[in-house]
Amino acid sequence: MRYSIFKQDRNTIIVYVVLVGLIVATSLLSDIFLTSRNIQNLLRQVVPLGLVSVGQTFTILTAGIDLSIGSVVSMASCLTTGMILGRESLILPVIAFVIVMALFIGFCNGFVITKTRVHPLIVTLGMMSVVQGALLLYTKSPIGSVPPVFDYLAWGKAWFIPFPIILFAVVATAGIFILRRTTFGRYVYATGGNEEVARLSGIKTARVKIMTYMICSFTAAMTGIFLASRMGMGDPLVGERYMLDSILPVLIGGTSLAGGRGGIGATIAGVFIFAILSNALNLLDVSAYWQWIIKGLIIITAVAFYTKK
Amino acid sequence: MGKNIVEMQQVSKAFPGVLALDKVDFNCLPGEVHAVVGENGAGKSTLMKILAGVYRPDSGDILLKGEKIFFSSPKHAQNCGISIIYQEFNLIPELTVAENIFLGREPTKCGRLIDSATLKRRSRELLADLNANIDIQSKVKDLGVAHQQMVEIAKALSLNADIIMMDEPSAVVSGRELASLFRIIRSLKESGKTIIYISHRIEEIFQIADRTTVLKDGHLVGTYDTGDLDKPQIVNLMVGRSLTETFPAREVGEKKEILTLDDVCRNNILNHVSFKVYSGEILGLAGLVGSGRTEIARAIFGACEIDSGRVRLNGSPLKRATPKSSIASGIGFVTESRAKDGLVQNMSVRKNLTLTILNRIQKWFFVREAKEKDICNDRVREYDIVTTGIEQEIQYLSGGNQQKVILAKWINIHPSMLILDEPTRGIDVGAKAEIYRLMRLLARQGTAIIMISSELPEIIGMSDRILVIHDGKVMGELSPCEATEERILMLATGQNTVQHQQKETALAL
Repeated sequence: MRYSIFKQDRNTIIVYVVLVGLIVATSLLSDIFLTSRNIQNLLRQVVPLGLVSVGQTFTILTAGIDLSIGSVVSMASCLTTGMILGRESLILPVIAFVIVMALFIGFCNGFVITKTRVHPLIVTLGMMSVVQGALLLYTKSPIGSVPPVFDYLAWGKAWFIPFPIILFAVVATAGIFILRRTTFGRYVYATGGNEEVARLSGIKTARVKIMTYMICSFTAAMTGIFLASRMGMGDPLVGERYMLDSILPVLIGGTSLAGGRGGIGATIAGVFIFAILSNALNLLDVSAYWQWIIKGLIIITAVAFYTKK
Repeated sequence: MGKNIVEMQQVSKAFPGVLALDKVDFNCLPGEVHAVVGENGAGKSTLMKILAGVYRPDSGDILLKGEKIFFSSPKHAQNCGISIIYQEFNLIPELTVAENIFLGREPTKCGRLIDSATLKRRSRELLADLNANIDIQSKVKDLGVAHQQMVEIAKALSLNADIIMMDEPSAVVSGRELASLFRIIRSLKESGKTIIYISHRIEEIFQIADRTTVLKDGHLVGTYDTGDLDKPQIVNLMVGRSLTETFPAREVGEKKEILTLDDVCRNNILNHVSFKVYSGEILGLAGLVGSGRTEIARAIFGACEIDSGRVRLNGSPLKRATPKSSIASGIGFVTESRAKDGLVQNMSVRKNLTLTILNRIQKWFFVREAKEKDICNDRVREYDIVTTGIEQEIQYLSGGNQQKVILAKWINIHPSMLILDEPTRGIDVGAKAEIYRLMRLLARQGTAIIMISSELPEIIGMSDRILVIHDGKVMGELSPCEATEERILMLATGQNTVQHQQKETALAL
């Protein structure tokens, strides 16, 4: 039974082939790429991107999308540092509080989407605005501080493996397991594939969708907490880029915006492709503006490729 | 040969894995109604799509009015006077009738402005020619299916089509609407148009077609004058075997009340519906499309809410039923449309088969896949589902096999009450017989079955009792021996006079 975790569909294999090709090409083009310093640097960038993309995969699989994810990241980072304020004893309660807040926001997203049937794009865009606004009322500039022990989250190592990598591996594996092995995972695919069929088959599709938004917000909260540890303070705008950056790896991985097709294995490849590409373009000294142009074209090409088939 | 308006010679077309058409000859005369019949997968649609310019043939020629022609696109075929009306209409719901008729070919003035006066006038003329009483200003989404079909025909006429292909037009209309469709087809024929009529329903062919072409497995069986054939002959040609016993024999078993509907209402859709269903019986629900048959099924299953009245299962009332609670209490519901609410198209046969029973094969939060695979392999074997394996995506199965998967998915819950909405729509004769057999088998095991169908022979042949629905009301109950197509139609149209009976008889199914 266990071998089938590694059984992938054709799209996923293609994405991994592309990823390996990209790694080979980049290491030929730049001799810095394969240095351990650069790899550690790369992996540190992958972690927040990977966490939000895993969450986003869930919503996109049900034919939804969560645009509020970036503002939840910012909120989590600011609340964490702003409430801990360097006090070691508050670390766990604050983290718990932040996660509960995020789950609540995810629940609201899902609840409004399933009750009103307004498109998720609109609901989560509105939620983004609400959360971001509230956050800016709380603080307009970087805030707070964390005790030294909190650094472990972003900078610690277990043996020689950076702790963030372990964190990401655990979340990604959990995601893969949930989608592939559990009944909930099956419900996610069925709801995304054909919601009415799922409902008539006795699946509580509303509940499934709400759960996906809560999972998405949960990963956003983890990302925010991680970023708080990495920077040692909270920044109300730190999450902004993740609104789009969480979606692009999912699409590069071949998960369909129409729902019901794709998975986290593919998303992880998408995350690495996206991160390595940025890394390579930086190493090759390509200007940020050209990077935007190149990434934009790659997304369109990738999705066009999947759509054609 | 020169008088053929269109001729296809030795046309072949292959898709990955199947030879859809193998050297097929097909020709049409001007002013004839030419039926194309065959089981699913026989190649009817492929043949028509080649003629409509949608597919290009791998080999073979198309001759239009005696001249060889090569269609580069559907638009090209359209310009050459060939129109096709698909089963799923190509209309834009948010545009008006007139706008739809002339979509992409709007009459213009001053260069680029739409000339609405001409647009409306010509649309009105076209619909008047069809004797169709449709407001050209209304939006297509507000029209019934039959009227939408009229709009499609008007659109084809506005293209000055000489050849109009209709893909299963009767799948969406029934009774009176079908009669008026036939009237239109006849008048089009008189004005010299050629109609190519694709259908599963053999009865219709005798009413409307001059000639009939039979396809089987991508081969041409032959083209015949319809007058030279009778029904068993056509079935024989289509399946290559005779199906004299289409309907399995009835059996009378012990009967106990399973389901009771008591005065069920839903605003203007269901009006005081009351009836009972017993174990081991097949209750046929007849009625026109839109009469409320499907809504009754949805109300029982809890797919939609009811305003008042009570539904009781095995004596205990179902309160605020949802699909989930209905399944838990043993009700299954095979829906009308496989594509829309029957299947998750991009899921495998396995995952579709167990969608209803995942909570019964889970351990903690996990699906017990070994058990799941066992169940699925058993079902595929038991019901002779033709598939490359349980991991094949269901969209690649034929309609008949998809339907068997859906049926198996519901039998998995061991239903005490199974509702089947148009269980044999769009599937071939062989699969139909198989489904009938399974229904009887279930009934024998004590399952109560409600079967909704627009096909009257099916209703009469399969049901132990027949309820006729009209306007959301139960108009009457018939036993299969007293039921005739005429009596059912009388009740279904809400009319009880003898004159109407005769009129309908001549035209209906």
